[in-house]
Amino acid sequence: MRAFWPIYKRELFAFFVTPLAWVLICVFLLVQGMHFYLLVDHFSNMGEVASDQTPVQAFFGNTVLLYLVLFLLVPAMTMRLFAEERRSGTIESLMTAPVSSAAVVLAKYASALTTYIAMWAPTALYLVILARTGDLDWHVAGASYLGVLLVGGGYLSLGLLTSAVTKSQFLALVLSAMVILILFILGIAEFVTAEGTMAHDICSYVSVWAQMNDFASGIVDLRRVAFGVTLIVLPLFVTTRAVDAWRWG
Amino acid sequence: MVLVEHLVKRYGARLAVDDLSFEVAKGEVVGFLGPNGAGKSTTMRILAGFLGMTSGKVTVSGHDVTGDSYAARACIGYMPEAVPLYPEMRVAEYLTFRAELKGVARRERRASVDLSMEKANVVDVANVVIGALSKGYRQRVGLADALVAKPPLLVLDEPTAGLDPNQIVEVRDLIKALGREHTVLLSTHILSEVEASCTRVVVIDRGKLVAEGGVGDIRRMRRAPAIDVTVRGAETAVTAAMKKIEGIATVKRLDAVAGENDVATYRCAWTKKLPDADIAKATEELVAALVTGGHAVREVRAAGGSLEDVFRDLTRGANDAAEARPS
Repeated sequence: MRAFWPIYKRELFAFFVTPLAWVLICVFLLVQGMHFYLLVDHFSNMGEVASDQTPVQAFFGNTVLLYLVLFLLVPAMTMRLFAEERRSGTIESLMTAPVSSAAVVLAKYASALTTYIAMWAPTALYLVILARTGDLDWHVAGASYLGVLLVGGGYLSLGLLTSAVTKSQFLALVLSAMVILILFILGIAEFVTAEGTMAHDICSYVSVWAQMNDFASGIVDLRRVAFGVTLIVLPLFVTTRAVDAWRWG
Repeated sequence: MVLVEHLVKRYGARLAVDDLSFEVAKGEVVGFLGPNGAGKSTTMRILAGFLGMTSGKVTVSGHDVTGDSYAARACIGYMPEAVPLYPEMRVAEYLTFRAELKGVARRERRASVDLSMEKANVVDVANVVIGALSKGYRQRVGLADALVAKPPLLVLDEPTAGLDPNQIVEVRDLIKALGREHTVLLSTHILSEVEASCTRVVVIDRGKLVAEGGVGDIRRMRRAPAIDVTVRGAETAVTAAMKKIEGIATVKRLDAVAGENDVATYRCAWTKKLPDADIAKATEELVAALVTGGHAVREVRAAGGSLEDVFRDLTRGANDAAEARPS
């Protein structure tokens, strides 16, 4: 694990030294800013109509914008992690240094996760704005960010895995976008399958939509957390095995 | 230092390394020689822990490269053939990253990086982004990377590939200097390079060992099979004079010198297995005979027998043997 720190630092450096990182963060903040503006505008025009929804809940849970942004940005963040090193051959110098596969995988993942958190960090200002104009339930906000972390963390983990199985960044991008889309559609299938059937249960369990709705309502369900953590840990484990397997390719 | 025993590597159906065994003792500079595609890079990658082997056993400083890969890798400074570097980093940044990755302690890191840059002669580009460097500099940054953690063993895969003649000389001198502190295993397909910098040679072809020995042994195999003599005179007279010398088997007239019809080059092939001393004597006699015969001698030069010829003989011999064997 000694190799974790240098690789983590280098990955962050490599990402932020290219325009890609800044473009992604700009696009993300632009879209989220618009999203927030539209929501607040909507809620303030509702007047006296009572609603059980709050802007925070809507922002994190009830619109498709959150998923759309993650679907578009996360694969672009993870695509280069392994594919680029394998294409350019630098993986050879990396893996012949005394480093463990687990350290390499974890360092690369941690760098992507750090970028992801940095991307979300400015959105905390939205909460500050809301808190100044009205009451804000900080528990709901905290749960929402936990949800965002779990869902994004899972997506990043899947993205890292797809980057490790191909030498082409583009293929990694397409593959991880597909996996994320399939996961999302599977979740949506909760609404079309009949209640009580096995398919319905599975779909509702893996539904990212339902997960974010729960978190955005301030409900931290351990089953949801367990699913989120599984979505992070399992792909990471498979990625480590994939990195070991290159040796035999 | 390095012990390779019965190493076999298969890529699917293709056999890349076939029952290869050799040894590199501490303090040696060993040239790993073979034509392109002979299995040099594959063997070195297995040594460096990048590739797995199909069967066999490879130990580096007593550490098995599969069983104790971590410890084995810590003993090796490996420079891959393509010298892959991160193009977005500056040279000093990159070397500091590599030093940290290889476990050089924080307080020694700065000194290690400076020393390796000095040894590899890249101090003047320390703050240049690697992507902007020329091939020669990239190669030397790769060398500095291999050196940075002061490993006892250096494994260099074609360290002079793609360099211009001046740079080749520089890198050779560098390797010679490194040989005083490190054990070095370097691969190449250029024989003169081995002669210039190595103490011992391991020759492989098609994944098999074809020859092994000191550089002197290889040099001894370099006996010229003929000499070329450029001489003025009528063809029949010259040929007759040449054939009289003991030790010359055949005489063949090559091209006439342009613009001078009576000056031509003749190739005199020695009889097989003529000892070196006799070749020297016969050469003296030949020149004396030509001059006393009234033929002006312009040039005498050994023909063939370059290291490349030796190499071709060695590797071709292995192929013939392989083909002759019933399969």
